[in-house]
Amino acid sequence: MEERSLHIVIVGHVDHGKSTLVGRLFYDTGSLPPEKLEEIKRTSEALGKELEFAYIMDNLEEEREKGITIDIAHTFFKTEKRRYVIIDAPGHKEFLKNMISGTSQAEAALMLVDVSRGVQEQTLRHCHILSLLGIKQVAVIANKMDLVDYSEQTFTKVKDEIIKVLEGLGITPAFVIPISASKGENVASRTEKLSWYDGPTVLSALDSFNSLVIEEKGLRFPVQDVYEIEGTKVAVGRIEAGVLRKGQDIFILPQNRKSKIVEIKKFMEDGLTEAATGDCVGLVVEEDGGLSRGDILEDCAASTVTDTIQANIFWLIDSEYRLGIPVKFKCATQEVNGKIEKIHRRFDPASVEIVEKDSTIIKPAEIAEVQIKLEKPVAVDKFSEIPELGRFVLEHAGHPVAGGIII
Amino acid sequence: MDHLTILENKSIFIIREAYAKFRNIAVLWSVGKDSTTLLWLCRKAFYGKIPFPVIHIDTSYKFPEMYKFRDEYAKKWDLDLIIGKNESEIEAGMGPTKGAKLDCCNELKTNALKQTINRYGFKALLLGIRRDEHGIRAKERVFSPRDENFKWNYEDQPAELWDQYKSTAEEDNHFRVHPILHMTELDIWKYIKRENMPLSELYFSRNAKRFRSIGCVPCCSPIESQASSVDEIIYELEHTNTAERAGRAQDKEDAYTMQKLRSLGYM
Amino acid sequence: MSTPKTLVIGIDGAPYTLLSEYMERGYLPNFKRILGSGFNLAQMDASIPDVSSTSWTSFMTGVNPGEHGIYGFMELKYGTYKMSFPNFMDVQAPSIWDITGGKSEKGSTLFDRYRGKVDKTLRSIVLNIPQTFPAMPLNGILTAGFVCPDLKKGTYPESAYDYLKSMGYIPDVDANRAATDPEGFFREAFLALEKRAEAYEHFLNNESWELFIGVITETDRLHHFFFDAALDGSHRYHETFVSFYRKMDEVVGRLFDRFMEITSGAGLFMTMSDHGFTVIEKEVYLNTWLKENGYLNLNPSREFFEQIDSGSKAFAMDPSRIYINVEGRYPLGSVSDNDKRQVIEGLKKGLENITYNGRPVIKAVYGKDALYKGRATDKAPDLVCIAHDGFDLKGNLKKQDVFGTSHFRGMHTRHDAHCIMPAAAAPSERLHIENLADIILAHLIGG
Repeated sequence: MEERSLHIVIVGHVDHGKSTLVGRLFYDTGSLPPEKLEEIKRTSEALGKELEFAYIMDNLEEEREKGITIDIAHTFFKTEKRRYVIIDAPGHKEFLKNMISGTSQAEAALMLVDVSRGVQEQTLRHCHILSLLGIKQVAVIANKMDLVDYSEQTFTKVKDEIIKVLEGLGITPAFVIPISASKGENVASRTEKLSWYDGPTVLSALDSFNSLVIEEKGLRFPVQDVYEIEGTKVAVGRIEAGVLRKGQDIFILPQNRKSKIVEIKKFMEDGLTEAATGDCVGLVVEEDGGLSRGDILEDCAASTVTDTIQANIFWLIDSEYRLGIPVKFKCATQEVNGKIEKIHRRFDPASVEIVEKDSTIIKPAEIAEVQIKLEKPVAVDKFSEIPELGRFVLEHAGHPVAGGIII
Repeated sequence: MDHLTILENKSIFIIREAYAKFRNIAVLWSVGKDSTTLLWLCRKAFYGKIPFPVIHIDTSYKFPEMYKFRDEYAKKWDLDLIIGKNESEIEAGMGPTKGAKLDCCNELKTNALKQTINRYGFKALLLGIRRDEHGIRAKERVFSPRDENFKWNYEDQPAELWDQYKSTAEEDNHFRVHPILHMTELDIWKYIKRENMPLSELYFSRNAKRFRSIGCVPCCSPIESQASSVDEIIYELEHTNTAERAGRAQDKEDAYTMQKLRSLGYM
Repeated sequence: MSTPKTLVIGIDGAPYTLLSEYMERGYLPNFKRILGSGFNLAQMDASIPDVSSTSWTSFMTGVNPGEHGIYGFMELKYGTYKMSFPNFMDVQAPSIWDITGGKSEKGSTLFDRYRGKVDKTLRSIVLNIPQTFPAMPLNGILTAGFVCPDLKKGTYPESAYDYLKSMGYIPDVDANRAATDPEGFFREAFLALEKRAEAYEHFLNNESWELFIGVITETDRLHHFFFDAALDGSHRYHETFVSFYRKMDEVVGRLFDRFMEITSGAGLFMTMSDHGFTVIEKEVYLNTWLKENGYLNLNPSREFFEQIDSGSKAFAMDPSRIYINVEGRYPLGSVSDNDKRQVIEGLKKGLENITYNGRPVIKAVYGKDALYKGRATDKAPDLVCIAHDGFDLKGNLKKQDVFGTSHFRGMHTRHDAHCIMPAAAAPSERLHIENLADIILAHLIGG
């Protein structure tokens, strides 16, 4: 079994059977401890409902009563190949910020579509979000095949519809799988009823996904903090891209100063000469470099240093944005105040129609292409090139209000 | 990068974010395996010397082995230890007597913690909770704001994406920060093994019993287990089913089975 | 019209030879009637070892112990000499009803054959099969058979427990009474059979199901203590023994008729047993033999298998399993991996040469590799002995002599289990208990 677990998210329109699929995955892989099943059963009985697989994810009393999943919920299941951390993201529009919080942590996604209903609003919205978050490994799950008499024709129609939407957003789904989650068909095991389908089951599709591969890129080391260890200044942070080498020349952005790495420090690991992407390390730089939180160390000053950001943002909160309202721009460890100065266009991702060009407001759950003006320059990259420095969060009054990617 | 190093890096990143944002923080240490792992990660994040206080909430009912372990490592690791105690309630005789377990926890743990936070004005507390502990933990954010009544508004939590953790808003009294949220019980044991971390002896089997979690003497019961080393605990976790681990009434069932087998000449 | 409905009546320890003889004598009119209507009675091999926990697990999983992992009623906890009692949670392969329920967490070679073909709406009622405690949720009803320390935990769903409790169901008779209060023991055995029949008929008539398995345990209990009464007309309890079989015949007849009525004769009806029985001539205490032959040192101040002392090379566990005391695996292991082969060879020779009054005791000694194949062979015994009829191989640790007698009169046989099924469904080659699950699944699902 692989040691690392793969984080996956299951998205889709409300009522298309997400929690049922999750419950089924747990049940069919034997990952549901009997006590847990008992606990869920007792609660279901107390509430006067029959046991539904959906309850497995809906842990809170209140959710059971409402019959919906409110928040991201992480749980674990395993196949012979690896463990999966499953992030269940709620389909309801009101819970968009939870859905996005969950999805942002995923390495692969299952996009669920009820074949008896086809592509609906939240299906569209979620396709947009997958695209904005840069999730590339996607399988489409055509659920509730039992309701359409396992018809290949209906399946093909929905399949063509969803592929068109996804490809328009730059996502090519790896598989489109007809299943019935409630009957457990094509989830872990095949069924004769879908004998016309010769692709993988949900579990084998998942097993074919890969853990994120770290690509070779230029160095990006955002400084998190500076500590004084035994009289020496140590800049700590996480290598977001590239590699760090002892003795290497570096650029400090956004100021564009030069320095050199004297020492790479990890507790109880002396003599480090190199550190790789993902590593949290401390750096001693020549003449202490005057480093502070928010500085970005790079090997060849390749990031764009600018106070004007062009981005697609998705609005997360229930109140709308009006031009001029101050926001805090947070990208890696950089935090700068600013405001949105232009809203080139905005649209509701659930309808595909562009609502308005050159707008002055952004409404809840909308996506907008904007220009953000900051009080001082930051070092950023295009999301498509170095995602870690190409994505950001906007806050207002201490609350996250939007996520965005730099275009 | 191997699995445990990935987990470790993630934790260290979170710990350093919390300290960078608030400075005035503390870590909660129950002396159990999870919070001891958290403490170990804090030591790594700050190169051996944790620059903020370590709070131990003392109900006065903990195991003697726990006090011993706490004091030994507080000294060895040069911890700035704060012992939080609800003295007035302890003196008034509060205890986990019949039917009052919840009151006891509330007074001696929750209120003791409230008093401690208010006294020192901490802006954030690092806690060693894990997602796989209980269903409700699945809802937790890494940075979880609490209002002045310590209430966790799980219905309306801030978005948390791309390791950008929420800034402080007006109504946020303090934050709970969860650096090991992403680890599982098995991860913790494997990490303990890799790091050769010290741990309270209560976790290891004595007289065929060991504690799976440790806390107050009256409210903890050991499970049946032969596992007397970290390796054996890992083996046990990987090879036994959950129900077996749950410390159920195994003894009674075994006695019945033995008696039945004997009656048929199988013993 | 064809129906997937299947009814299996398990009759614990009912030997092929005895059933044949009793039919001949006219004691079992219903059995005779069934055989006259297109059914076939066959002699069947049980699993090795031929102990109920292992054999029933082979029946319900359709795979060998190397896959299902149950080698007896007890085993030693890994790395210790402490006993533990494997239950249903330790069964490593899916049962028939797990397979029809589409559960895939446990794989097996049998399951592989039905993967993807299963209709998960099939409902199973599983009553009193040994080694099914604790009850795991299933599409249907289950109450666990021997050993079931807690009927509530042994029954799913709770409504079924409530019913069993209310009707005075007896999960298992008190076998201790057999020696001290035989009359009381018989009374309870008759009552237990009556209650089982009542419960089985209740579920058969009031629940929907495709697979129905009900096991009768009392035959095995009777055999252990009174098998010498089976054919000996002068035995004090011969009449009682026969009347128990007559009663059992009635129960089987009633269930058979009801089943034929429900299915218009198109279902699969089967009776079977997990092993046969024969009269004990001598009990053979393998650990005493190991001790006498320098393989085993015991420290009598301790209990059970913790008596095993340093220098021990092998020990035996019921019924006829021999484990090599290997370094690393056991705390006082004294046989290195290099020496293991040699110890096994020596043991094999020694065991095969045991005689009683000039007659050989042991028919065959099998090595682990010859018997078991699969993912669960790490718990398998290194050697298993099959004795000649009459010699009951035991794992007691406190016997002075190798041979002895006790109040037990019957012992299991491997070669004399029975199975009745439609002649059309019966395979031509000799039946093995591991074959039945496949036959049942083929009927339920369509092979």
